[in-house]
Amino acid sequence: MLVATASIFIVQAKAQVIVIANPGVKASDVSKSDLKDVFTGAATSLKDGSGVVPILLKAGTVHEEFLQAYIGKNDTAYRAGWRSLVFSGQGSMPKSLDGDTDVVEFVAHHSGAIGYIGKATPHDGVKVLTVK
Amino acid sequence: MDGGLPPINHERTETEETLSQRMWLAGQAGDAPARFARDRLISKCTEREWPSAIQFQLRRLMMRRLLVGALAFALGAIPVTAQSLEDLNIQIHGYATQGFVYSTHNNWDTLNSSDGSPSWTEAVVNVTAQPQPKLRVGVQARYFLLGGFGNTVSLDWANADYKFNEKFGVRFGKVKTPEGMFNMTQDIDPAMIWSILPQSIYPVATRTSILSHLGGVVYGTLRLPAKAGTLGYQGWAGERIVAANDPLLEAFAEGGILFPSGVTGHTDGATLQWHTPLQGLMLGASESSNSNNGPSTLAGMFSGQETSGSFQIPFYFGQYEHGRLTLNSEYMRLPFYWNFNYTNGPVLKVALDFRNWYGMASYRVTNKFAVGSFFDSSINQQAPLGPARFQKNWDISARYDLSSFLYLKAEENLLNGTGGIGVSYYPVNNTGTLNPKSQLTILKVGVSF
Repeated sequence: MLVATASIFIVQAKAQVIVIANPGVKASDVSKSDLKDVFTGAATSLKDGSGVVPILLKAGTVHEEFLQAYIGKNDTAYRAGWRSLVFSGQGSMPKSLDGDTDVVEFVAHHSGAIGYIGKATPHDGVKVLTVK
Repeated sequence: MDGGLPPINHERTETEETLSQRMWLAGQAGDAPARFARDRLISKCTEREWPSAIQFQLRRLMMRRLLVGALAFALGAIPVTAQSLEDLNIQIHGYATQGFVYSTHNNWDTLNSSDGSPSWTEAVVNVTAQPQPKLRVGVQARYFLLGGFGNTVSLDWANADYKFNEKFGVRFGKVKTPEGMFNMTQDIDPAMIWSILPQSIYPVATRTSILSHLGGVVYGTLRLPAKAGTLGYQGWAGERIVAANDPLLEAFAEGGILFPSGVTGHTDGATLQWHTPLQGLMLGASESSNSNNGPSTLAGMFSGQETSGSFQIPFYFGQYEHGRLTLNSEYMRLPFYWNFNYTNGPVLKVALDFRNWYGMASYRVTNKFAVGSFFDSSINQQAPLGPARFQKNWDISARYDLSSFLYLKAEENLLNGTGGIGVSYYPVNNTGTLNPKSQLTILKVGVSF
């Protein structure tokens, strides 16, 4: 019973978050491992060669759900990973925005940008990537 | 003191074991008299020393020019691609930590830790710019104070990074050396649960000298066929410079061996990380070739040259992440050969052979609270049996994040043995007999932005 409840919760969590990208990004879908690599700084392109730049939310439910569902870490552990890259000269911290609408606005106008928002947020001007 | 210093016999060649004990097993020196002796020796530098000393300085100057040239090249490319300050994507980040250290016996790393000491402060600030997605340039300065060591600001890294694609990128200038599992990140306190990593492989005192080199790194990630995971590689080559006052050389000062100009040497090697098909499991290995050379003086009486020849350092490591749990383990062998040839003086040889390993586990209890533990072992195969041959450590750590920027750490270490590469019981504040067993408590507060 507990396992079933937990599974339903995870499915619901994933369902509340969608991954969006600038319309210039060629891919229409993305694998979970590709998504994890891009958002942890391990990769700067998708499997099809599309160069992408991750955009984060600063905090909030959507941010936490995205990290749990696709990165497998909480916010503290996730940002610790980026600090390792930033302070060892291997990367720059991704841009963090305040809210979903800010992410939509930024992704729509910046080539290669990829982000995540709540499913209910209007997202005209961006493409939605299916996570496989 | 445990394993006290044998007298120097200038009429014979030192045995490996004798000098090994002098350098490492008896403790490591950072005392003021040794520094004064070194300064005096520099001022009395004989004519015969000048050729090697001048060559040494010329090599160092050339490497610095290479660094400046690399950065100038990278910075020169910026106006071509960037149209505004926003396009440069300039970022400034930093962190600062303050530690408090208490030990039940022995004083740790030149701190008066048996009385409780707050003399452990580190601060870092960096500026990076990314004028285009494939190019990033940056520089990081670092302040380091650990007891009698440091209290200086140094250039941590300054490099340009161009990533052609996922398979190939290059970073050059002063770069972090991608050796082992944590060498590049071992000093990044905000990224870790621990206050100290296993000291057998990542000693705190020598962070300034062994974390980076002047030269370059190539890196990339290859997707393996048949869903066999990915293979990350990093190869590096360049020169490592160890300053005259670095804790690594203070060990020799205890035996009367001084390096007026520090030492330099090549370092090159490669690291592979295989991210296996089993999600969360990474296996890796490193192999590096290194050397250390520099003008040296002995007991204020002889001058000459230190040469190490080339020595290999292998690492084997693995990491497994599953949910909130992370497991790590690593093995490293450090064979260490330094030869000293003094004009009209003795020929000395230092040979050490450390076999070091650790296993660690950490668990994130909540978003703000994490705990961890590791067991760490370092054994010098060249040393005689006894507590001065090894050091083992059980570590228990906890970290609490007060906010995204502010955190606290508490750590207890159960130390056994007075040998091992990571042992930092320096004679300057350990004048009595060392106790083989000691507990080390570390409290830390850190802030990052």
